[in-house]
Amino acid sequence: MKISYNWLKEFVDHDLSPRDLAAKLTMVGLAVDAVEEHGEDSVLEIDLTSNRPDCLSHLGVAREVAAITGKSLQMPEVVTGKLSAGTTQVGNVTSVEILNPDLCPRYSARIIKGVKVGPSPEWLVKRLEVMGQRSVNNVADITNYVMLELGQPLHAFDLAMLKGRRIIVRAARDGEKIVTLDKEERELTSQMLVIADAERAVALGGIKGGEDSGITETTVDVLLEAAYFTPAQIRATSKALGLATEASYRYERGTDSEIVPVASARAAAMIAEIAGGEILSGIVDAYPLKSDRKQISLRRKRYEQLTGLKFDVAEAEGILNSLGFEAEISPDKTALKTSAPTWRIDAAIEEDLVEEVARISGYDNLKTTLPGSAGAGAYLPGETGRRAMRGALSSLGYNEAVSFSFVNAEADALLTEVAEGSRLELRNPIDETAGFMRTTLLGGLLKALEHNFNHGSRNVRMFEVGKCFLNIEAERPEEIERLALIATGARNEADWQAASARIDFFDLKATVEFVAESLGLPSLSFAATDSFSHLHPGRSAVISLDGISLGRAGQLHPRVAAEYKFKQPVFVAELDFGAMLNARRAEVRYQPLPKYPTVVRDLALLIDTGVALSAIEKAVGELAIAELVGFRLFDLYAGKELPAGKHSIALSLRYRAADRTLTDEEINAMHERIVGKLTQEFLAEVR
Amino acid sequence: MSDRITQLRTDFERELSAATAEADATALRDRWVGRKGGLLTAEMKTLGKLSPEERKTTGAELNELKNYVESAIETLLGEFAAKREAEQLAKERIDVTLPGRRVQAGHLHPITLLRQKIEDIFVSMGYEIEDGPEIETHFYNFEALNIPENHPARSPQDTFYLAGERTTELALRSQTSTMQIHAMQKRTPPLRVAAPGRVFRRDTPDATHNPMFYQVEGLLIDRGITLGDLKGTVEEFVRRLFGPDTKTRFRPSYFPFVEPGAEIDYTCFKCGGSGCRVCKGSGWIEMGGSGMVHPNVLRVVGIDPEEFTGFAFGLGLDRLCALMYGLDDIRLLYENDVRFLEQFR
Repeated sequence: MKISYNWLKEFVDHDLSPRDLAAKLTMVGLAVDAVEEHGEDSVLEIDLTSNRPDCLSHLGVAREVAAITGKSLQMPEVVTGKLSAGTTQVGNVTSVEILNPDLCPRYSARIIKGVKVGPSPEWLVKRLEVMGQRSVNNVADITNYVMLELGQPLHAFDLAMLKGRRIIVRAARDGEKIVTLDKEERELTSQMLVIADAERAVALGGIKGGEDSGITETTVDVLLEAAYFTPAQIRATSKALGLATEASYRYERGTDSEIVPVASARAAAMIAEIAGGEILSGIVDAYPLKSDRKQISLRRKRYEQLTGLKFDVAEAEGILNSLGFEAEISPDKTALKTSAPTWRIDAAIEEDLVEEVARISGYDNLKTTLPGSAGAGAYLPGETGRRAMRGALSSLGYNEAVSFSFVNAEADALLTEVAEGSRLELRNPIDETAGFMRTTLLGGLLKALEHNFNHGSRNVRMFEVGKCFLNIEAERPEEIERLALIATGARNEADWQAASARIDFFDLKATVEFVAESLGLPSLSFAATDSFSHLHPGRSAVISLDGISLGRAGQLHPRVAAEYKFKQPVFVAELDFGAMLNARRAEVRYQPLPKYPTVVRDLALLIDTGVALSAIEKAVGELAIAELVGFRLFDLYAGKELPAGKHSIALSLRYRAADRTLTDEEINAMHERIVGKLTQEFLAEVR
Repeated sequence: MSDRITQLRTDFERELSAATAEADATALRDRWVGRKGGLLTAEMKTLGKLSPEERKTTGAELNELKNYVESAIETLLGEFAAKREAEQLAKERIDVTLPGRRVQAGHLHPITLLRQKIEDIFVSMGYEIEDGPEIETHFYNFEALNIPENHPARSPQDTFYLAGERTTELALRSQTSTMQIHAMQKRTPPLRVAAPGRVFRRDTPDATHNPMFYQVEGLLIDRGITLGDLKGTVEEFVRRLFGPDTKTRFRPSYFPFVEPGAEIDYTCFKCGGSGCRVCKGSGWIEMGGSGMVHPNVLRVVGIDPEEFTGFAFGLGLDRLCALMYGLDDIRLLYENDVRFLEQFR
């Protein structure tokens, strides 16, 4: 809201400079964003909170200034009601009928006859210009002026254009049409309110006038509307028609029903003075639903309880009275009885009065105290794990990504096996291509990867932890905390000694294991799978712990990679991080350090490529050789000279007994059992 | 001194000065003082043939010579060893200015870094961190927070709603204040809770807006809690976040779930309050809304507002992030460009 410094001074004779005034207003809750000089005048740009529509006028802001400075509020003379009027009673010329008083509790009309519509005088043009408004003609300018001054929107009809010279305030008929002042034809519904004459709608109530009933250069007699409309109705109509005006802006926030006749008088007097003409005597004022002043009390006890400030009953009375609350001190001086002004639609309860007194007396007076200590604070359950995971991943070179929770449904569907109905759709997305809640974090990471590729970063490791959403048969959807990883490109930068190597599945696997270890989980198991359509069927694994699946890892399926136009292999993993945080922790127990030596025997086998290492390890395990304390693959070789379908694996087996040094014979015997089992079970050959 | 000894000494001196390599020195040692066949070792054995008188003087002279020879050879060997070591070390010299070998570390998201810092502060001030659903019912997102039926925040212009027929209409939470209600339902006062998290508003992305951002909300309910406690708490909070000289300012403001309400400003962390580009010359930066929890909100969760009072305050992490790091476009926060992410630590 723009407020003219000079205009404001007509209401309150204060001695604050524009800057000081801006600072004071800011500190009582009317945040002044800017002070701009306009020749002799200054304009204060106030960022009003939605609860204070009463300050959408100079009068409203002036009341605040009066309260701040302790000066009295001076209403302009004509506003106080001294109207030189003709002998004809307005009621004999026109009538007002309100059919929907719940939507329009008050509607008034005055008539000014014999006006001369023309340009506005210089001072009026200038004042509107300072407020950022263009001059139209004298009558229109005056209605604008009074709205900016008193906060009451006004509308001027050409009386000659009103059929039957009467006003009917009614709901529109479904399909009823009106051409508004902006020359737009608008189709209405029965939810909307119109101002009609005897035959048709002549204005959209509280929003905009009709094209063929408005003031023109040929207008001679003016019917001046001043009304009070119910905010919700105006808001709904304005939204439905996509039509917002200065009038609708004020009405939908809440105007003062009691200012209606005052504003009407002010405008009529100005019209008669500037545009000439005769004001008919009196006002037609239909006011079927009168607004009540709310009775609110303020107790000393409550004020002190909420603010920690001492309650000065006289000061509080002064503040509330200057704001129009008609405060009255209780006989025991511990409370105030007030009657809230009709313009303060925000004032309803005692706490509102607490704020009124505290803010005008100044929040700067608040004594700062710290509430007494009340026990220890606590992090979110799992926060230690979350931080450990973040530490582990960043130490491995993974950057943390944060993506939007809403995604493209097709992209999301490409990456999960979630059923169509489980994906939650937004009713009103801002981006139609991102209208669903994510069921996987991978979509965000792939999009991020695409962005990075497009900007020249080819070596990318990223992770994201966050919620995924699933529609389930419950009041609320399921929100699952997941962790996703993406890795592609070089594992390390080539340096002056070593060449760079490419990231592959085993880097990703080690990363997942490292994360699990950072959480203190027992070892995870990885099993081959081809059941995830977004993963390479020969290069993907189900990750589980204690037989419960925690997630998946693998190379992005070439088909999916092609959708993104990725030209290099991309590795992804996604884990149910919530489940990992809740999973069983590995128990840490001290193991006595070995007293006897360990003997290492290597074993090279030519074996079918289809035999998984886990199968070999399992077979060895079945022999239950207690002295076998280590099993490690240290070489894997597949060369052309080897028979088709075979590769060579080299195992390092470690033997040790807890109570003695093993003899060669003992070790040989155990080693032979292992060799025997593997050659027999997998038709492996010792190389 | 016997001529014999003099002669031996002269011979040794000559041979010693001729020794130029470590092998010469060891050969010299074997030749002169070797246990088997060393010249002086053999000479010692001849002493027995002498008279006791001669044996004593010659023996002493011979011993003196032997000590001299041994120490001279030892010195020479030491010199050679030192030289050999110096050569070896010189050969092993590296260029310490070559780059160190390390794994390129990853970086946490700036929002995470800020959120962790804020959580640490809240926990140190006795608050429990709370988390909750990002998809909310009307009750938690609006009604319980005293947000009026016709408040613009409720409109589909501002808030995301889920499609489909449901018993309860669901929205993406538009503020972390929803957590006030969850937190108070789970506990009985006195309570202190802080809730960081994602919130959603229908803002088209531009340099200063994203449809998703992060907030954190602090809530304290107890007997005898005042606006002064709120101010003191916020002051302490910003001092821990931005440094001990940070000051705060309260301006009256309006948020439906508090009354009285206040906007919190703090002195600019960049200029300390004198005015700069970060604070647009005012010296103050807007932190967020705060106030005394509205009696209607307390009643919703069954807390008697006459017995208990409390305050809530919130702040937006994205904007703070943008101010702290000088981001000119907050869309960068969710683009996940590694060149951006790698700048934060």
